[in-house]
Amino acid sequence: MKQAIPERFLISPFLAFFVIHAAQIGVGALSFQRPLMKEAGQDAWIVVLLAGLAAHGLVWLMYRLFSYSPSGGDIVSLHEQYFGRWIGGVLSLGLLFYYALVALTVLQSYIEIIKVWVFPLMGAWQFSLVFLLLTYYAVLGGFRVVAGLCVWGVVIPLLTIFPMVFFPLEYAQYRNLFPVFDHSFGQLVKASKEMTLQYLGFEMLLMYYPFLKNAPSSQKWAHAANAFTTFIYLVVMLISIVFYNKEQIQHITWPTLTLAKIPEVPFIERMEYIVISIYVLVVFPIITISVWAAMRVVKQLFAVQQRRSLPVLLAVLFVGTLFVQEKTDIDRLMKWTAEAGFYLAAVYIPLLYVYVWAAEKVKKALQQKP
Amino acid sequence: MRRGLAWIGALLLLSGCASSRPIDEIQIIQQMGYDFENGRYTGTAVYPTFKQGPMTKPNMLTTTSPTIYDLIPRLSSKSALPIEEGQLRLILFGQEFARRGVTQITHSLARNNKVGSHLLLGVAEESARELLKITAKTTLSDTLYLPNVVEQNEQSMNLPKTNLHLFLYRYFSPGSDPFLPYFEKKGDFVKLEGVALFRDDKYVGHVSLRDSFLMKILLGETKNGVYQLKVGNRGKQGEDRVMLQNLWAKPKYEWKRDGSRHALDVFVHIHASVRDYPSWLDHPGDDLFDDVKKKMENELEHNMRRLFRYFQKKRIDPLGIGDFVRSVTRHWDPDAFYREYPDIDIRPHVTVDIVHTGIGE
Repeated sequence: MKQAIPERFLISPFLAFFVIHAAQIGVGALSFQRPLMKEAGQDAWIVVLLAGLAAHGLVWLMYRLFSYSPSGGDIVSLHEQYFGRWIGGVLSLGLLFYYALVALTVLQSYIEIIKVWVFPLMGAWQFSLVFLLLTYYAVLGGFRVVAGLCVWGVVIPLLTIFPMVFFPLEYAQYRNLFPVFDHSFGQLVKASKEMTLQYLGFEMLLMYYPFLKNAPSSQKWAHAANAFTTFIYLVVMLISIVFYNKEQIQHITWPTLTLAKIPEVPFIERMEYIVISIYVLVVFPIITISVWAAMRVVKQLFAVQQRRSLPVLLAVLFVGTLFVQEKTDIDRLMKWTAEAGFYLAAVYIPLLYVYVWAAEKVKKALQQKP
Repeated sequence: MRRGLAWIGALLLLSGCASSRPIDEIQIIQQMGYDFENGRYTGTAVYPTFKQGPMTKPNMLTTTSPTIYDLIPRLSSKSALPIEEGQLRLILFGQEFARRGVTQITHSLARNNKVGSHLLLGVAEESARELLKITAKTTLSDTLYLPNVVEQNEQSMNLPKTNLHLFLYRYFSPGSDPFLPYFEKKGDFVKLEGVALFRDDKYVGHVSLRDSFLMKILLGETKNGVYQLKVGNRGKQGEDRVMLQNLWAKPKYEWKRDGSRHALDVFVHIHASVRDYPSWLDHPGDDLFDDVKKKMENELEHNMRRLFRYFQKKRIDPLGIGDFVRSVTRHWDPDAFYREYPDIDIRPHVTVDIVHTGIGE
C-alpha cells in the first residue's frame, strides 16, 4: 500500500491538463448561465473569472498539501499519516461517498437531457446500463485508460461543439454587457458560489496525484487546465449575455443547448441534437474518473481488488439512476453535489492544509529540542 | 475484441430506443394559424401532401376549441397520420387572437424542444385561416410561400429581422416590446403590409412597410431597404420622387438630461445609392444633388419623429430604447423609465451620403 506505483501505470505530467479539464467541464456547462445571471445579471462574466481565480488557489493548495505527503501518497495515505487508521479511514470514506455522488449526479443529469431532448419515451435504466457497462470496461483498464478517455473527451468536443457557440453572435446585442460593474462586489462573490459545480473536478487530483510521473512538475499543467476551463466558461458566458437578456434566460433550462439551435446547415437543421450526442464524450470521462477515484479509495482503504468492488459500486449507481428520476430530485442532487464539493474543496482542503502545516511545524520543533 | 463487443452491444441496445418516424408516415405541419372567433379558438394547420415526384400540394386542417392548448390534439383527430410539429416554419396569428395576447403560444413554443429558434411568427389583418387558405389555394407547389415572403423581405427589403428567438428576446426584455410581420388579404393575394406592434404580448397596431424601413435602420440592421422620398414640387406625378436604397446605415443613440426631462439624440448616417430619380435632376456637375440631399435628410428626420411620436403615444418600445438607456444607466428602473417614456424628447439627426447613382448618369 505504501510502495510507489510502478512506472508503467503512470501518466506524463502534461496529461494532468486533460484529466483536470475533462473533469471540470460537464453537464453544468449547459446550464450554469441561468443562476449566475439571476444573481449578477450582465456582470456574470466577472463572476466566472472570480470563481476561476478561487479554483486556481485551491489547485495550488492541493499541490502544497501533497508536498508534505510521503512520495507516492494520495489523500488516503495522507489521512492515515496524520489522523491515524480510524479517523483517517472515516475521512477517506467520506471522499468515497463524494466521488460516487459526483458520478451519479453527472450520469443522472445527462440522462435527463437525453430524455427531455431526444428520446422522451426511453427509460433511464437502458441508457444508464449501457453507460455503466462502458464505465466498468474503462475503469478496469486502469488509470491510463481513464486518462486517455479524458484526452479525447477534451479534444473532440473542443473541435466540434465549441465552434458552435459562436454562431449566435449573429443576434448579439453588445449593449447587454453594459453598464459593467452594476452589481456590488458582495453580490458577485455570492454569485460565484453558483459556479462551484462548474469548476469542481480538480479535487479528483487527490486520488490520482501519485499516478502522475514526477507529480510536482504537473502543477503548471493543472493551472493551465483550470485557466482553460475559465476561458471556455468565460466565452460561453459572454455569448449568453449578448444573446439572451436577463429575463429571457430565466425561462430556458439549458441555455447552452438553446444557443446551439442557431447554427443551420442544409443537411441538418437542428444542431443541438449533434451537441447532445457528442456530449457523451464530455460526460463519460467524468463518470469514469470519479468511479475510478472511488474505487481507488476502496482499494487503498480495504485492500479489495477492483474487479470485486467495481461491480458493487456500479450496481449502486444503477439503482440510484432508477430512483432519481424527477426534475426536482435531479436538481436537489446537483445542489447536494455542489454543496458537498464546495465544502470538500473550499473548506476541508484549506483546513487540512493548515492542520498538516501545523503538525509539521510541531514535529520539527520536537525533533530539534533533544 | 472486448472493446468491439462492448460497442456492438451498446449500439444494439441503443438503436432499440429510438422511435423512428419515416417521412411518409407522418403529417408534417409547416404553417399554423391561430384565430379567435365567436368565443372559440380556431387552429389551422398547413401541411404538404406529396404527389408524384417533387410536386407537393399544400393542404389544410382546421379545428376549433374553447381552449388553446388542445388545438393540436384536436387536429390529430382529423388526421390519418400522426402530426409532427418539428418542421414548423411559420405561425400566423389572427388579429383578434393577437389582440388578446400570444403569450400562451409563445411560451409553449419556447418550451417545445422540437421547434427551432428560426421559426417565424406573423400577424394577419383579419383571420389567419383565411390567409392560409389563400396561400394554399393560389400557390401550386410552394407550401412555404409566407415564410419565403418574410425571409426574402428581411434579407433584401424593408422588413426588420424577426423570428421566435427575437420575439421572445424582445418580449422578455424589460426594455423593449416585440413586433412581427403584418399580412393583409388583397383580393386573391396575400401581401406583406408592414410591421405589427405589440405591447408586451398584445397586438396594439401596425406601421406600414415604408415606416418599417426606418425601424430597420433605427434597430441597427445596417443593410438593405428602399425608401421613396419626395424631393420637389414639380406637380407631374412621379416626377418629383427619389428612390433611395440603403447600402449601409448605422444609428447612434445619445441619452442626456435636458432641463427637467430626458432627451434622446439619435444620429443616423445613411450611405445610400439612388436607384431612380426624376429627369430634371440629371444635370452632371450641378449642385442640385446637394439641395436634394438636404431635402431627403429633412424628410427622413420628419418621418422618424412621426414614428417615434407614434410609439410614444402607444406606449410601446419596439426599438428597444429602454434597453439602450439601461446600458448607459446604473441601476436602471424600467418602471420609472416607462412612466417618463411618452414625454422623452427624441431628436433624430439624419445624414445621407449618396454613394452612387448606378452605372449611368
